[in-house]
Amino acid sequence: MTRTQHIPVSALLAHSECIIHSLGSDDKTVQRLAQMGILPGTHLQIIRVAPLGGTIEVNDGQGQNFALRQQEVAAMSCEPVAMPLISELVAEGQTYMIRDIRGGKTFQLRMAAAGLQEGSLIQIRKAGVKPMQAHFVDTNKQISLGEGEAKKIIVEVINHESNS
Amino acid sequence: MNPTVEPITIALASIPNSGKTTLFNRLTGSSQSTGNWPGVSVEQKSGLFPLGEYSVTLIDLPGAYALSPVTEEEQVVRDYFLNSPPDIILNVLDAGNLQRGLGLTLQMAASALPMVVAVNMMDETRRRGITLDLRAMALHLGVPVIELSAKTGEGLPDLKDALYEVIKHPEKTRAPHISCPPLLEKAFFQITEAIGKSTIDTRLDHTFLAMRMLEAESQSQWTSNEKVAALTRKWQRRLKQSLHTSFPVVCAGCRFNAARGLAMEVLGGQPVIEDKLSRRLDHIFLHRFFGLPIFIMLMFLLFQGVYGLGAPLQEVLSVAFDRAGSWLSSQTMVLSLPAWLQSFLFDGIWQGVAVVTSFLPIIALFFFFMSVIEDSGYMARVAFLMDRLMHRLGLDGKAFISILLGYGCNVPAVMGTRILTSNYSRILTMLLIPFTLCTARLQIFVFLTAIFFTSTIAPWIILALYSCSFVAVILTGFMLKLFRIGGAPEPFIMEIPPYRFPTPRSVGLRSWYEMKDFLSRAAPLIIAGVLLVWLLSHMPTNVPPASAATWAGQLGQILAPVFQPLGIGWQETVALIFGFIAKEIVVGSLAVIYGGTDLVGLMSNHITPMQSLSFMIFCLLYTPCVATIAAIWTESRSLRITLISLVSGLAIAWLTSFIFYQSGLLFGFH
Repeated sequence: MTRTQHIPVSALLAHSECIIHSLGSDDKTVQRLAQMGILPGTHLQIIRVAPLGGTIEVNDGQGQNFALRQQEVAAMSCEPVAMPLISELVAEGQTYMIRDIRGGKTFQLRMAAAGLQEGSLIQIRKAGVKPMQAHFVDTNKQISLGEGEAKKIIVEVINHESNS
Repeated sequence: MNPTVEPITIALASIPNSGKTTLFNRLTGSSQSTGNWPGVSVEQKSGLFPLGEYSVTLIDLPGAYALSPVTEEEQVVRDYFLNSPPDIILNVLDAGNLQRGLGLTLQMAASALPMVVAVNMMDETRRRGITLDLRAMALHLGVPVIELSAKTGEGLPDLKDALYEVIKHPEKTRAPHISCPPLLEKAFFQITEAIGKSTIDTRLDHTFLAMRMLEAESQSQWTSNEKVAALTRKWQRRLKQSLHTSFPVVCAGCRFNAARGLAMEVLGGQPVIEDKLSRRLDHIFLHRFFGLPIFIMLMFLLFQGVYGLGAPLQEVLSVAFDRAGSWLSSQTMVLSLPAWLQSFLFDGIWQGVAVVTSFLPIIALFFFFMSVIEDSGYMARVAFLMDRLMHRLGLDGKAFISILLGYGCNVPAVMGTRILTSNYSRILTMLLIPFTLCTARLQIFVFLTAIFFTSTIAPWIILALYSCSFVAVILTGFMLKLFRIGGAPEPFIMEIPPYRFPTPRSVGLRSWYEMKDFLSRAAPLIIAGVLLVWLLSHMPTNVPPASAATWAGQLGQILAPVFQPLGIGWQETVALIFGFIAKEIVVGSLAVIYGGTDLVGLMSNHITPMQSLSFMIFCLLYTPCVATIAAIWTESRSLRITLISLVSGLAIAWLTSFIFYQSGLLFGFH
């Protein structure tokens, strides 16, 4: 069985990616999006949140960007594919692959020294703990990440067979 | 087709932002006319161009994502196809946005009307190193596919050739097959069959018609055939029960599956690359911290560009008009005319023409800068940056620019509302702009505060009036949202196009068309308004103009009980009537009404500072000027909206002045 966790598109932050699962209630927003070809199965990349908040810029995987109001896409659920490592979004026991480490050179070097680099597999075994405890899947070592550090790390969701 | 009969009608249709208007301008040049789609306030543009021995009428349909309407514009397009199918459809696709555009293309191809597809912005695609297999597209769609760039004009002759060929040998487009869930297929089949057996006479494919009827709330608009309508209703009920989502959404799913496949084939597996330059520029312009300061700076430059350059030009024009006027009026031929006729010619008509002309420089500059902002792609970024703020007023982010520019002059600001995406937003913004403190009103305020207040207090009074204007805009915004005056709000889903370099041609053409449009549509109304005020202030002819004995003076005295609670005397009331022409002439008209040489002395004896404040508040909030009303009328194409603007302005102005003056009296000021 594949683990899937559906969250509203409006909950996603910049640098996240998701696949639309359902458009939600059939209102004008949904009809409009459907006529634009934004349908279940469409890959969305969240580019940025507007400086004043409330509005997000997304890319539809076809090279086209558009703006949506978070409030208007709150009913739209999606399956996250990639996201910043933020405690509200990570699922306990889910395996993630590091896709990108953002931030300055120093931060990247420090993370690399701790063994965290693009391609590393990690798991968060206990959610809601601060600082966040990330376990390396291969070595079973542990690294603790502050909130500010963790959100600079973009992870990809790895689907795996559930043992239970 | 026979060239001697009716001109050939070609409908230009595409999703928004495909460069449709640029192509329209390319094909029709200056032979354009604008009108109105029946029953709605959506602009209809059409133009003529010759094609070989044929004469072609090109209809520029509003941008629509689908023929299954969500917006008012899409309804217009759908109704057009069903009620008066064109001879040929000219569909424009953005080469960089194929999949989305093909959704509409496939839907239109299903109509079986002859069609030509123009793949636009080929220059950009080439620059990004993408090659498109347009032969594959033509093969799949069964229609000619032409590559072009409407911006540079490249490929235009090929398009004309293709259109000519289609006119010469019209062929029914075979509807592309789009696989749908079996239940839908069954519904289409049965309704199609019923249409075939009925007497419905149409050039449209019957399955296409069946689909449109299934989407529509009522079928009576399309067919009087009760059997077909009943069957459609039966299927609508059945589909509603068995589908999880609404029928048009399911159909969109099927259509876009086909569109995705087709786009993939045309692209031949090349990945769609985003514009790298746009990504880098957005990093700066939409930056979390720097985005807003940059925006504010650009808005400052825009404001300065329009009004800083426009005001001196207006000045030059007005001096030229004054000089020409006084030279003309001193000619012996003119002097031999009766005095009232002289006055009619110079204080009436000449003055009206001068008012109209004074707007031309700022309208040209306004649309010049607006086109630059819009064509470059920054307008979409503005909407993105300002959405949170403007959404509270029920507006979209682009409305910010319109309202901001109202602080210079209301007239171009109202004309500029046409850049807004939804009709709802347009109407709301148009009703808010008259409450912005334009520079003409500022002149009155500067003059009056200098008379009634010391130089240390005067600037604070002006600042307070600006704040009053902000509050009026915000409160009226909330009120309009509450009373749902522009209809239902539309969802905010806005495409953010890549940055592009605006071409001098399109920017120049835009300014030119807007000026022409202003002259032909708003100018007659403005001149009529000026003449009306002339009539009031100069009739009867045997009394001094604007004196108590003229119609205006009498009107001022009749209205005195209405304005007395505001502390506004009949003289100021007459000035307010003059202010309807243009706020610039309020001060001048006060001088005429008071009739003395020492206006400052007369006024300060006659009016208290409290009363002057009440007068200024009234000036700020009531109807800006006849030109703004003319602009609202021509933009909204609705008498109702124009009247709402007029009446709400007067009512809000009266109430605010009343509350201000009366509470002032209560607190012992007078």
